[in-house]
Amino acid sequence: MLQDLRYRLRAMFRHEAVEEELDEEIRFHFDREVEKYMRTGMTEEEAKRRARLVFGGHEQVKEDCRGARGTQFIDLTLDDIRYALRQLWINRTFALVMIATLALSIGANSAIFSVVDGVLLKRLPYPEPERLARIFLSSADYPKFPLNPFDFLDFRARNHSFESIAAFTRGDVQLSGSGEPIRLNGFGITSGYFRVLGIKPHLGREFDFKAEIPGNGLQVILSDRVWRTQFNADPNVIGRKITLNMQPFTVIGVMPAGTEHPGNDYHAVAYGESVDVWWPFSFAGNSNQRGSHFIEGIGRLRPGVAVDQARAEMNAIMSQLGREHPDGDAGWSVLVIPLYSEVVGASRRMLLVLLGAVGMVLLIACANTANLLLARASARQREMAVRLAMGAPRLRVVRQLLTESLITSLAGGALGLLLAFVGVRVLVALLPADFPRAQDIHVSGPVLAFTLLISVLTGILFGLAPALQASHTDPKQGLQQSGRTTTASRHQNRLRSALVISEVSLACVLLVGAGLMLRTFLNLVHLDSGFREDHLLTASLSLPHQRYKTGEQTARFYQDLVRSLSALPGVQSAGAGSDLPWTGYDENAGGFTIEGKKPAPHQDFHARYHMATPGYFSAMGIPLLEGRFFTEADRKDVPQVLIVNRAMAERYWPHEDVIGKRISFEDTPKKDSDWMTIVGVVGDVKDQPNSTGAEPAFWWSEFQVSESDMSIAIRTQSDPREVADGLRDAVHRLDPELAVADVKLMNQVVDASLSTPRFTFALVGLFAGLAILLAGIGTYGVIAYTVAQRSQEFGLRVALGAQRRDLLQMVFAQCARLAVPGTLLGLALALSLGRVVQTLLYGVSATDPLILAGVALLVLTAALLASYAPARRASLADPMRTLREE
Amino acid sequence: MTGRIELPQGTLDLLILRTLLPGAQHGWAISERVQQVSSEVLSIQQGSLYPALHRLERRGWIKARWGTSDNNRRAKYYELTPTGKRQLEHETKAWRKLTVAVQQVLEGA
Repeated sequence: MLQDLRYRLRAMFRHEAVEEELDEEIRFHFDREVEKYMRTGMTEEEAKRRARLVFGGHEQVKEDCRGARGTQFIDLTLDDIRYALRQLWINRTFALVMIATLALSIGANSAIFSVVDGVLLKRLPYPEPERLARIFLSSADYPKFPLNPFDFLDFRARNHSFESIAAFTRGDVQLSGSGEPIRLNGFGITSGYFRVLGIKPHLGREFDFKAEIPGNGLQVILSDRVWRTQFNADPNVIGRKITLNMQPFTVIGVMPAGTEHPGNDYHAVAYGESVDVWWPFSFAGNSNQRGSHFIEGIGRLRPGVAVDQARAEMNAIMSQLGREHPDGDAGWSVLVIPLYSEVVGASRRMLLVLLGAVGMVLLIACANTANLLLARASARQREMAVRLAMGAPRLRVVRQLLTESLITSLAGGALGLLLAFVGVRVLVALLPADFPRAQDIHVSGPVLAFTLLISVLTGILFGLAPALQASHTDPKQGLQQSGRTTTASRHQNRLRSALVISEVSLACVLLVGAGLMLRTFLNLVHLDSGFREDHLLTASLSLPHQRYKTGEQTARFYQDLVRSLSALPGVQSAGAGSDLPWTGYDENAGGFTIEGKKPAPHQDFHARYHMATPGYFSAMGIPLLEGRFFTEADRKDVPQVLIVNRAMAERYWPHEDVIGKRISFEDTPKKDSDWMTIVGVVGDVKDQPNSTGAEPAFWWSEFQVSESDMSIAIRTQSDPREVADGLRDAVHRLDPELAVADVKLMNQVVDASLSTPRFTFALVGLFAGLAILLAGIGTYGVIAYTVAQRSQEFGLRVALGAQRRDLLQMVFAQCARLAVPGTLLGLALALSLGRVVQTLLYGVSATDPLILAGVALLVLTAALLASYAPARRASLADPMRTLREE
Repeated sequence: MTGRIELPQGTLDLLILRTLLPGAQHGWAISERVQQVSSEVLSIQQGSLYPALHRLERRGWIKARWGTSDNNRRAKYYELTPTGKRQLEHETKAWRKLTVAVQQVLEGA
């Protein structure tokens, strides 16, 4: 055993010496054998031949001896690597081109995979996240809707599918006490919310059931960030009273760092550590009135309970509730959606499309590299022939060449990884701000493994065909041909053409994708938004109920604020609205009555509702179509008025004069004061730039309904940033303890809502550019190679009277034989992949003929350009030179 | 030359060990010797001798040293190690048993 080890070690580390000894030993044997035969009277020549016959191929015997040493695998690999490095060094330019191509495409793949890994593959940051599910209601009018608090209590009491369920709803709070007051992202949560998520407070405890009783709610749980930034990470903060919304709240818990918000639909806050404080949600009001829906459900399934089972049970409970409360709870069903799909569902398709696109780039790079290798394989035919003639087994030659391509691809992978590190930073910066789990995107362990895997696969993929082909070199033929004029076999030419055709077709697919994304992006940019985002400053305010107890106070505040804002220098108009366009607002009012109309059975009249002050529409740049805007006279003590949008006017009063029509929120309006009269119609604004159409919506006069949370809109003549200080001063003159939050330009809001399509287009466009460049290089390579091969033929043709034009035509015809089938194949592929991307598009069909035709034209032009230089070279063939060479 | 038979698997090792019993020999001499004593009935591809020698060396049954051959050239000489000798005895016994057994079966039939 010891002897064995010593032997193997010597064989490995004294490799050179051992090889020399073997060589000498075999030479000795061979010489003695020759001597023996010569003694029998043979000539030296005959003796040598005889000895060779009896002994077998020297190389083969040596290989067998190496095998017997037991270090063959390592030896061979080291050998192969040394040889490969030498070969790559000899052809450094060639190697660099291959490595750079691979680095770019592997790097792009690793970067995109980092995003996929962080967003789609990494588990959600909760224990056993697969047991978490979101709970929504659904009806014919509202496919996905929040819960009613009392329905939630019944769900919690009656269900057996969930270990625990909880509800939460957005409610920001204002923290004051030290310096300027600040607005904090807050959520009202029921008891057990953190138990559902599986996160324990770092200090203190979470809310108990008593906190859910109205009046007990002056408690708060802080996030790690707020605890550190606002309370200096005070370990004795539990029990301390802090001022929120001008009321004393007792701190009862601090959550650990890494407590991530599971996301919400209603006044959404981004995923991640985006919530600052949690306060107890209390169940106030009449438990028999179940029309109001504003809390969101989340639950942890019992082990072994499937989502479908839970959904079935919840729906059974909902039907019971429908019988118990027919006016509020009938007609609803329950949605139970796994948290994972809820978090990443919307981004999933986009990321998979990007991964597919970048994968295609890698395939093209593979095809390109294989092509380069094939071209070089013909130049290396002699080398292969010599090795094979010396008795090297074919498998050995294949191994040798594969080692070369693996070294190339691994070098490309290593370089690509560096690119990925940079690329991921850029990607994350480009990602939409509300992109789920963006903070989880890193070049992580799985990304490293992925890069290694694709590097190895790439090396094998592009190296195998050329290696197999080279190993089938016929030694005799290879040796006979002299270096320069070696020609590739027909088979090899066919393989190379097939590779170029597939490159062209994949590039086509990517270009079609890029074209579609570009159209989508442009459609969204040039979309008539319904408002004017330029010269517009926005902010949001929230009046604490403690100080603004009555509607009059609230209305007075906003009236005074808008007046002083309008008086600021450079301000054209200023107003306040309950929300801003494109910021994810989705509040619905259902069940109103329209004078003189009846809804269809099992349906109700419904519309989005908002509040606005007189200046809001002109500040937003939303046009008045009919009637009038609000005025300061639309106050509490006068008949209520409404402004509706065009969508609402057309839905409920088609071809009618809408001004003067009345709706009511009473089921059976009696007095005149139960009715609200429409005084104006304004233009439509969609929920999101890519929504299919605007939802019906109406506005109340803020001075009549007194909403305390409002957004401010100020339209200016010059740079709107200049009035930001004026806005703060105006607010603080009215109330020094009020936080002014979310001060930003409407341009930024619009920009943010376009970031997803911009991101997709930028990446697909980048990949398509890379693809067409690589395909162009591939086409050039093949055409240039054949032109070089046929230079003698071209010379002869010229000598025999062919015109230069004929030669140009011949080369372009060859180019067309590659580009046309490639393009057709690519367009067919693009058409069949169309439905995969359709949901990512806006205002353009996946089969848009203009884009398909444009791409075909572009690809054919690129192919012609790629073959122009070789074609020119062909047409300049010199007959004299050819004749001299022949 | 007719009637040459292929060497059964593993017997080459036995023959090499036996050839080395009288003393150290270099590869060519081993090959010549095996062919002489086997009355040229056994066909040994000369090339297969060297991998076998290297394998036996790795197992520690023979050891190699460089010496000078009868025609004054450097040559690699192999000789049996004590383990090699034991192995030879062991394999010879096993071989005899096998041949006797096979003989009996053939004659008894």
